[in-house]
Amino acid sequence: MHALLERDDCLDTLAAAFYDVAAGQGQVVLVSGEAGIGKTALVERFTTMQQEAARVLWGACEALFTPRPLGPLYDLAYQTQGALPVLLEAEADRAAIFAAFLGEVQAGPAPVIVVVEDVHWADEATLDLLKFLGRRIHRAAVLLLLTYRDDELGPDHPLRFVLGDLPSRLTRRLRLSPLSEEAVATLSQQAGRPPGDLHAITGGNPFFVTEVLSGEGRSGKGRSGEGRSGEGRSGAQQRIPATVRDAVLARAARLSPAAREVLGVISVVPGRTERRLLEAMRAPSLDAPSLEALDECIYAGMLRLGTGALSFRHELARRAVEAALSPLRRQALHRQVLEALSGREPPEVARLAYHAREAGDGAAVLRYGPAAARQAAALSAHREAAAHYQTVLQFAGTLSLEEQARFLEGRSYECYLTDQIGEALQARQAALELWGRLNRSLEQGDTLRWMSRLHWFSGHKAEADRYAEEAVRVLEALPPGPELAMAYSNRAHLHMLADETAEAVRWGSQAIELADRFGDTETLVHALNNVGSALLLGGDEAGWDHLEKSLRLAREHGLQEHAARAATNLSSCAVRDRNYARAMDYLGAGIAYCIEHDLDSWLLYMTAWRARALFEQGDWARAAEDAGWVLAQYNVPPITRIPAMAVLGHVRVRRGDPAALPLLDEAQALAMQTAELQRIGPVASARAEAAWLAGAPEERLDEVRACFDLARHHKSPWLLGEMAFWRWRAGDLVEPPEGTAEPYALHMRGHWRAAAAAWRQLGCPYEEALALSDGDPEAQMAALEIFESLGAAPAGSALRRTLRAGGVRGLPRGPRPATRANPMGLTDRQMEVLGLLAEGLTNAEIAERLFISPKTAGHHVSAILAKLDARSRVEAATLALERGLLGQGRLPDGDSQDREEAVPK
Amino acid sequence: MPRYLIERTFPEGLQIPMTAEGAGACLNVVETNAEDGVTWVHSYVSDDKDKTFCIYDAPSPEAVRRVARRNKLPVDRITEVRVLDPYFYH
Repeated sequence: MHALLERDDCLDTLAAAFYDVAAGQGQVVLVSGEAGIGKTALVERFTTMQQEAARVLWGACEALFTPRPLGPLYDLAYQTQGALPVLLEAEADRAAIFAAFLGEVQAGPAPVIVVVEDVHWADEATLDLLKFLGRRIHRAAVLLLLTYRDDELGPDHPLRFVLGDLPSRLTRRLRLSPLSEEAVATLSQQAGRPPGDLHAITGGNPFFVTEVLSGEGRSGKGRSGEGRSGEGRSGAQQRIPATVRDAVLARAARLSPAAREVLGVISVVPGRTERRLLEAMRAPSLDAPSLEALDECIYAGMLRLGTGALSFRHELARRAVEAALSPLRRQALHRQVLEALSGREPPEVARLAYHAREAGDGAAVLRYGPAAARQAAALSAHREAAAHYQTVLQFAGTLSLEEQARFLEGRSYECYLTDQIGEALQARQAALELWGRLNRSLEQGDTLRWMSRLHWFSGHKAEADRYAEEAVRVLEALPPGPELAMAYSNRAHLHMLADETAEAVRWGSQAIELADRFGDTETLVHALNNVGSALLLGGDEAGWDHLEKSLRLAREHGLQEHAARAATNLSSCAVRDRNYARAMDYLGAGIAYCIEHDLDSWLLYMTAWRARALFEQGDWARAAEDAGWVLAQYNVPPITRIPAMAVLGHVRVRRGDPAALPLLDEAQALAMQTAELQRIGPVASARAEAAWLAGAPEERLDEVRACFDLARHHKSPWLLGEMAFWRWRAGDLVEPPEGTAEPYALHMRGHWRAAAAAWRQLGCPYEEALALSDGDPEAQMAALEIFESLGAAPAGSALRRTLRAGGVRGLPRGPRPATRANPMGLTDRQMEVLGLLAEGLTNAEIAERLFISPKTAGHHVSAILAKLDARSRVEAATLALERGLLGQGRLPDGDSQDREEAVPK
Repeated sequence: MPRYLIERTFPEGLQIPMTAEGAGACLNVVETNAEDGVTWVHSYVSDDKDKTFCIYDAPSPEAVRRVARRNKLPVDRITEVRVLDPYFYH
């Protein structure tokens, strides 16, 4: 075994990881780098070194355009004896298969090294398996070695999410770099060749270097088949570096014709070519004499002999050889493989579908494609299922319209499950047209209901509503059935999300009745959820029972998505109700359920809600952790990003940290598109508070007023209270509107003590301190303490300055002041206005002096009169003088300047 | 990566001796910072050693606060800053 050049550090890292594993702590090592950089060679060397100490299980992902679901697990399983191969053959439940694999690797006394190669090609189910293992690796004596090509991962590649999900504490990353010029020179020397420009043309890639060195002449002209690359080959096969293609083909050209023949045959089979497959193909070149041809390929270093199977030493070489075949020969070979595979039991439908497509055999695509799609879906490899349906649809022209429509529906559903909403809509639209031509009203109605759901997902509320109505209209013309029940429930869902509670309850109740009548549990669960959530949003406690029932039924019937949705809505309703004890219980259980069942989109969404609950309870550090984690994940839909951005932005505002506004600007733009109060409200509140802390509360009044109107329209007490509060702070509102949540109403009416007590009762310290800061000096001191313990620098400094200005001495040392209130609950701005009012200025003059509109000045004056309980301006001025409000030295000019500099921007 | 100015107050005054112990204390901070991808560029200290102004490169203000908590360092205020070189205008 010759030495691996320049890989000692990597071997050391691997050995260190293995040492930890042997000590009982599972580890992950990610080996990345471009194709041909030597990932496999490194891992092979390492596992050979450890073969005495460890059991090694080896699996690889294949470059099929639609990979076989759990392909690598099949490889791994056949190296084990336990129940795993049996479960896989029986196509058992995925959870059972994963658990069996975990059991298998935990079973023996020796540590296990599990290698999964080329995970950038992994199917979705395999990615789920890796996530599953990653989350449990700390409990197993397992070294999980994953290799992948990092240069083939786009920013949205699903593997990225999996890698980000691995426990960072237990994960090491090895990025293999190209060989240095010295190393390439050493290799050339060993091959007895001058190095020349070898390092430059190969970029130091060991595979290219080896290929070029073993070629007869570097300019070897293969039958490279220029101009053939673009004729509908799958993407993977188009990108073969010209240097390696030439190197490979030059090498192949030196083989005997028989060996070249067999090489071509094997090149059309990605991954491993089993001996029995070759035998079944009965290719003329594979009779006894040409076993010599196989040997020749192996000795020439083109092929590698594994257990019962042959494979190219390198995938790039396979691609180069396949791409050099003439199109006709390539098709013919794929057809031969297809025939050889078609006799097997059970049929390997994913492979069959691949070769059927490559052979251009439409009938075979239609025979195997749908089964491959269904098998992939059953294993939760939904991305692969969607791709299989896509292939089927390319050849579906000969089928009946109904069959075509069903395949379109299948594709749409799989795309929907994998967040490819645009593609899902397209397929559903095509299905809708077909059902229309067939005059199938029932299917049309159901498809319309799907269109509504998909449009909501894309954030198109208007279209979602339109399709929802049309679906009901079409289905109501037919005898009632489960489809109508679901269409009703869909309407209830849309209304509930928009806080339109009465409509949501009305549609939802119709759905429940029908679903009950037809024994349709899934729709029943869906509708109960919508009605329950709507009731709670409208302040009706009966909603808890509906939601709890939905959760229970969903769990009993194994409807995981629905169980996650029920847990989510229970949590979010409890948070919006500021019932934190309840909220934290639901969130804890719900998040655990999502982790257990790998329901990632719900996990993200619920984590965003937990961030809000923590934020409102004053635990800003953990709130920022949760929100930051959500935002760091890939492909997070706006519905989930918005609440996380609102929390993180609001934390930054209250801490006086930078980068709050860019985040809140983005959140606002996204929230407006959803037109939903629950997304818009928290963002508007954070932005209003930022303006207030910056000493310009009137700045975002338009936004606050719009959200205020929305909250009042939907009778949402807490968001209405929040918006009313910021308007009141800005002098834009005197009295809390009807339906304002009690603590806000108390505060705005001047009952700061009762308000503070109510906030304390709820567990919201920041709001408690805000109420106390409008109280007497003793209360203000208590407020200051709370602000400081929270790390609320801007509010704390403002209050500190107010206290100093009021003559309070002996304040604990702390950051500098900014704005804040006085015993009558007047804001700084109102104090300014009061000073001018006492000077006898009119509203217009006050407006001019303060650079605000006369209307705003009028609002301030009304607010002052209300707070001082004065009937006129003169009375207000007199009261102010009597109570010494004007003697605090807080009149406009001297003060506003250092407020400007004191407030962090 | 954004750059931040972090103001800290040390009521007792900041004491980092010019010894191996002092160097060790600084290295500990640097190591803790590295766990969250935070880099301490350098600091200015007031004459009375009550206040420090630290220049940091960090992925977010939250990362600055997270490592400050682990290093048991106070944070008064974080401001995002950029370099201005007066001689650049010559």
